[in-house]
Amino acid sequence: MLIALPAIAGAQPLVITAPAAPGGGWDQTARAMQRVIIDIEPGANVQVENVPGAAGTIGLARFIQSERGNPHALMVTGLVMVSGVITNGSPVTLSQTTPIARLTGEYEVIVVPASSRFRTLGDLVAAFKSEPGAIAWGGGSAGGTDDLLIRLLADQIGLPASRVNYIAFSGGGAALAAVLGGQLAAAVSGYSEFAGQIAAGQLRVLAVSSPGRVNGIDAPSIRESGIALDLANWRAIVAPPGLSDAEQAALTERMTRMATSAQWQATLERSGWDDLFLAGPEFRQFLLAEQSRIEDVLRRLSTNDQPPRSTLAITMTPMTLPATTALIFTMALALVIAKSMRRQIAINSAGRRMLIAIVFALAILPAVFITIGFIAASTMLFAIVASTLRATRPTARSLIVDVTVGVVFSTILFVVFTRGLGVSLPGPAF
Amino acid sequence: MGELLHGFAVALTPANLLWGLAGTTLGTAVGVLPGIGPALTVALLLPITYTLDPTAALIMFAGIYYGAMYGGSTTSILLNTPGESATIVTALDGHQMARNGRAGAALATAAIGSFVAGTLATLALSVTAPLMVKLALAFGSPEYFALMVLAFVMVTTMLGDSRLLGWLSLLLGLMLGFVGIDGLSGHARFTLGIPYLLDGIDPVIVAIGLFAVGETLWIASLGPAIDELLPVRGSLWMNKEEWSRSWKPWLRGTAIGFPLGALPAGGAELPTLMSYAIEKRLSKRPEEFGRGAIEAVAGPEAANNASAAGTLVPLLTLGLPTSATAAVLLAAFQQFGLQPGPLLFEHESALVWGVIASLYLGNAMLLILNLPLVGVWVKLLSIPRPWLYGGILVVASLGAFSVHRSAGDLILMAIIGVIGFALRLIDAPVAPVMIGLILGPAADQHLRRALAISQGDWTVFFSRPLSAALLLAALVIAGWGLRRTSAFARSASARQAKIET
Repeated sequence: MLIALPAIAGAQPLVITAPAAPGGGWDQTARAMQRVIIDIEPGANVQVENVPGAAGTIGLARFIQSERGNPHALMVTGLVMVSGVITNGSPVTLSQTTPIARLTGEYEVIVVPASSRFRTLGDLVAAFKSEPGAIAWGGGSAGGTDDLLIRLLADQIGLPASRVNYIAFSGGGAALAAVLGGQLAAAVSGYSEFAGQIAAGQLRVLAVSSPGRVNGIDAPSIRESGIALDLANWRAIVAPPGLSDAEQAALTERMTRMATSAQWQATLERSGWDDLFLAGPEFRQFLLAEQSRIEDVLRRLSTNDQPPRSTLAITMTPMTLPATTALIFTMALALVIAKSMRRQIAINSAGRRMLIAIVFALAILPAVFITIGFIAASTMLFAIVASTLRATRPTARSLIVDVTVGVVFSTILFVVFTRGLGVSLPGPAF
Repeated sequence: MGELLHGFAVALTPANLLWGLAGTTLGTAVGVLPGIGPALTVALLLPITYTLDPTAALIMFAGIYYGAMYGGSTTSILLNTPGESATIVTALDGHQMARNGRAGAALATAAIGSFVAGTLATLALSVTAPLMVKLALAFGSPEYFALMVLAFVMVTTMLGDSRLLGWLSLLLGLMLGFVGIDGLSGHARFTLGIPYLLDGIDPVIVAIGLFAVGETLWIASLGPAIDELLPVRGSLWMNKEEWSRSWKPWLRGTAIGFPLGALPAGGAELPTLMSYAIEKRLSKRPEEFGRGAIEAVAGPEAANNASAAGTLVPLLTLGLPTSATAAVLLAAFQQFGLQPGPLLFEHESALVWGVIASLYLGNAMLLILNLPLVGVWVKLLSIPRPWLYGGILVVASLGAFSVHRSAGDLILMAIIGVIGFALRLIDAPVAPVMIGLILGPAADQHLRRALAISQGDWTVFFSRPLSAALLLAALVIAGWGLRRTSAFARSASARQAKIET
């Protein structure tokens, strides 16, 4: 974790972009890679950079733009980014990167409560076909793997993907309570999210989304029910665009060495990830095939995207509540302004001067925070605020004192955070 | 009980005690810093704990979680800058107490209340976990929606002097909450075409902006002359009257916090708010609320810690994380190949009871750690004001930046800070913004989820008894609110008087 060690002479640092916040699946994959590479290549310098946002598409855009041609940069990606690119209208896509290798993945399971009347996937699909709206499916967020699986399933059995009554939760775990509480007919998620309840006999697995049987999961695949569908929530590694063939081959070689090491296998074991290693032209083809089938189902979904049939005149769309809120807020604001007109709000001139100075410091902070580094930017902020808030006019002497205190304070914070907590902050390397 | 004793044997080994102490100390530290919450800390520490024994690592993580709940109240009380949503309610009266020279008592009642609540709730966790699971599963989307309606009504009728201004803040929070990709449909809402806004607005950044930055701007606008802070008077800790006014709120806060924390969509915001509302309702001196009532610190602080223990119920028994920290703890369990769920108690009995036992010990450690610190913390107030607020802004921007490592968050923090200042200027309560921000999108999702499951049938909210009861309670509270005369004019003239004197 104490990664801020100086680079060993000669070894170019390898920077792995995790296009997500710390803690998630992509971040965990990047950090696991970091650990294994440092372990098997003594002296290697590997850093993880988190660029979170919008299903990874913010990280993708930055990776393509600023790392072009850099043979020491990698990014973790996965199925969710393929759909995120489409649903978020991202201007860049995964095809602009250089595919290196697929590393891990997890298959999805379709589960029902133990007390459910559905014994097999066939039962469930028959009921789903006869009245699609009556089967409430639950799983993770809209456009995620769980959602995609059910839309692809509907597609395969000849139902329009838009007829699916899919209820999104913040994750498979959150859908768990709803399916155990009997509100959902069935839930979909990665096996590990439901593993505890499956083992305890509270949930019944109807099908697994793998091509064949999976070790340790006592359930048929979807294909065994006569539906030609499999889907894995895979995670892969891509390099920036503009690499030479030799550079590409070197990166592929390095990743292959990592993925076949005993340390990586141990990591997979411990984290419960399936080994789905695939590199070279096969991975390139796999990526293209995934992109085309997911684009297909999502495009068809958006072209006939109608709200579900409702018996009531009032249908709730995603904008109903926000629009109503905005309307009432505007009215309340107008009322408050009208009432406030009658009393004057008093800020004296000294107060106004102080306010303007502090707002100014805050406004330039984002612009300088990355360029001049944390210590310099914080010292500036501290000195402006402190000399503004002094009761007397700042003198050269007081300014020097404020700047000194600011430098000391910022440096202590910088050291504590970068060395102690492993937060990477922009700043001069020591 | 035998299992719990065995758990103590696990937790009391010197190595595990040391990990517990490290966790609680680190937790207190990160709780004090705005923006650096327990979730981020545990997430950053995860990779270096691969090599540790799972029990030791989980004991340390649990210590961080509990410790942060203790530490969070300190900055709320002393500086009116809660760094996380769990201690916003504490700041309301806690900071007023500090202004009245009773900072020590406020910190002490928060620390002891946290200890009482943490210990009782851990006891409840070890005894009633299976029962709590049943309650949690009875809560479906209709019930959550009804619970959130109740919370909105409470916020606007209980906080601040004016219902109109309360609504204004709440609606502002709701609008901020709706920004981003809608989790149910994938539609982008209120994003103005800016990619940064697709992920929505992070409550941590808003809390930092509204409280730390807003408060600093407010202090600056008062000019150099005004400094209302009274020096500490009376005993440093609590006096006899303060004890007798604290113990009932501690117990009530625990009773509210634990079950609400155990709900799969609990969190610490609802229980702290409900505790405040109930204390105000039961108090013989409701007029003191908002001006430094010790009950309003004791109750919510207890509720906050009890809900932290409650959160562990769905995590350990269902494998269901209900807060950001719980989600990271779940990742920690999975990292060690442990699957929280119905079988965890059977398969990993020693580990689970070891962690639970370490929670008892952690609470005791935190009390021992925090009570002597009260004196040290109070000294924070004697730092010269220019340096104090300069330091607050530096730590605030550090916290805002390190959540996502994004300079965009610094821009958002400044904008929200100016809004927070504007709200203070018109005497509007600030806390409803946070409640709207956090609960608004959840209420929207539960409403639409409930309607999707019922296929558009609105009667679902009234045909389920629990949901109907909660909506009825909301109606009753709204009724009380209507009976109160609008205090807007009164508060306006009060402010005018304050400025003139």
